Amino acid sequence: MRKAMALITQFLEIAWQTLLLWLVFRLGSFLVAWLHLSLPGNVAGMLLLFALFCTGIVKPAWIDAGGGFLLKHFAFFFIPISVGLMAFGPLMRQSGLTLLAILVLSAAVGVLVTGLSVQLLHGRSSR
Amino acid sequence: MNLLVFAAGVLATVGAYLVTRRIFLRFRYPLLNPVFLSTLAIIAALKLTGGTLADYQPAKETMTFLLGPATVALALPLYKNRSVLRNHALPVFAGVVAGCLATIAAVLVAGRVAGLSRGVLISLGPKSVTVPIAVEISRIAGGEPTLTAAFVVATGMIGSILGPTLLSALKVENPVARGLALGTVSHGQGTAVALLEGETAGAMGGVAMVIAAVVTALITPFYLPLFLP
Repeated sequence: MRKAMALITQFLEIAWQTLLLWLVFRLGSFLVAWLHLSLPGNVAGMLLLFALFCTGIVKPAWIDAGGGFLLKHFAFFFIPISVGLMAFGPLMRQSGLTLLAILVLSAAVGVLVTGLSVQLLHGRSSR
Repeated sequence: MNLLVFAAGVLATVGAYLVTRRIFLRFRYPLLNPVFLSTLAIIAALKLTGGTLADYQPAKETMTFLLGPATVALALPLYKNRSVLRNHALPVFAGVVAGCLATIAAVLVAGRVAGLSRGVLISLGPKSVTVPIAVEISRIAGGEPTLTAAFVVATGMIGSILGPTLLSALKVENPVARGLALGTVSHGQGTAVALLEGETAGAMGGVAMVIAAVVTALITPFYLPLFLP
């Protein structure tokens, strides 16, 4: 009985905090539409929330449970989106290997550039 | 009947996620990525049952409803690691910006050489950014969000398999540099690998993943067209 109550309380906390996050998301989306920015609404919402944390208007503890839950299962949301790849069968059959090679190459370039430049800068700034 | 198809879609997706997550947490090998395995399983299930994407659409819409709030919640780890941001401001920003510029240029130049269409090139642009943000960047730029999502998941796996080996081969041993490189190129999956290397690398990966997403979103409207036919 006590365990059930704790579960219900936890669920309500996550639901309520998710609602808060949803409001910030909608506000971010509204702002970029209103200002005609070519910035994704979710990025605007995230920056807005970061600014609210920094100014102390919103306390991280207010959304820690809901935000933590959503981030823990962040990858789940990508599955239904990736299933849409079904519509690109011909492209994958025709250029799949080419695309794979290109992705490997550009990942290597990115890792190399960030890794080496940070090591160079960090080595200097820390001494 | 529609309700049944809907319920089957949701149950299959949640079930596939729970099972593949277990598998991944047990072996922690990047090729066993839950998104990759679950996507394959669901596409296979749809093909076997004669289902179409249209059948799966209502389930998809319901399940992705919380992706917006989840993405906004990325401000949480960024804020918790704000001391990292303050103490290593120059390496973080310079390294992430350089990495974003380089990886986008590389993918687009190589893509053009390979003769890919304009739509595919645009979809490749944000492939190093976490899925929900990459998908939106792609949509705004005129790409195919679904293709972008697939490229992002593939890049996550590639970077987390090759990244640590490549960094070691280049004698990049500094955990700050390793974490930033993995997070910049391979978003959440890179961050997960960085976390396995240690606390500093993990925190750096998380910060890099968020900064790279913001940087890519900001530069794409100006930077991407430079490489398009």
